[in-house]
Amino acid sequence: MSNCEAIWIGGSAGSLDVLLKVLPRLREDIDFAIVIVLHRKPGADILLTDLLSSRTNIPVKEIEEKDPVKPGVIYLAPSDYHLLVERDSTFSLDHSEKVNYSRPSIDVAFESAAEVYKEKLVGLLLSGANADGVNGLLKIKKMGGRVIIQHPDSAKVSYMPAQAGLYVDYDALLQIEEIADWINKL
Amino acid sequence: MSAEKKVFIFDDNEELLELCTLILEDFGCEIKTSMISDNPDVQVMEFGPDIIFMDNWLPNISGVEATKIIKANKEVSHIPVIYISANNNVEDLAREAGADDYLAKPFDISALEEMVKKYAL
Repeated sequence: MSNCEAIWIGGSAGSLDVLLKVLPRLREDIDFAIVIVLHRKPGADILLTDLLSSRTNIPVKEIEEKDPVKPGVIYLAPSDYHLLVERDSTFSLDHSEKVNYSRPSIDVAFESAAEVYKEKLVGLLLSGANADGVNGLLKIKKMGGRVIIQHPDSAKVSYMPAQAGLYVDYDALLQIEEIADWINKL
Repeated sequence: MSAEKKVFIFDDNEELLELCTLILEDFGCEIKTSMISDNPDVQVMEFGPDIIFMDNWLPNISGVEATKIIKANKEVSHIPVIYISANNNVEDLAREAGADDYLAKPFDISALEEMVKKYAL
């Protein structure tokens, strides 16, 4: 049985470029779910799903309320909702107040996933301009999961991964080209 | 696509502009984007696009007005303008603006590429 049930990826400004480089290099037979939570504005959701789909043979799906989390699928959090996962491994979308000026908030998503997946969760934080995600990564570590952070030197906007690097006892700090290899070994 | 086609996109949604740029670059196009509608005909003239995508909601001058300005300038009036909007009446807005066609938001990659194929090839 795999030691990883899910990778949750958080990102903000500058993270789309990273995903477009990482996704094509992922092995297609992943036996865990990949969940992407990006700070984004409403209005371009279909284009983003289409664009990510065009870079990988792994199915990419925008999350809908109550969707079950299945291995071998890349899930994309919709704009304007917080993303949570329930104990029965279904997604839940929440339209409550913004957290860290963001909805979806990466902290909210990571904290929820940490509670459910515990040591079988990997959290990955990418480029971005605010500190959303740091508390979520701390929670993932506290629950026994693993944390990887994009190296701030390789981030278009380094603040978010740099903050995470300061406060979180991470498992790996990776350059963009190292991220796919790290995930493929899971 | 043989020669690189030039696409100008007016929209105030930065994410949509970034995505459309990535998608259409994959499709072999050269892209210029603008989030402001001031002097739209001058902006267009400087780039010389084969096709223009015009969003309805822009600061200062609406998409309808910006399209009318482009269509009133004979230097650029021949360039096809595709009107884009999330409004239910996007077809009426496109007609009022004098646009050549319209695309209802949200649209997907194939709808975007079809418009470029139809008007810029």
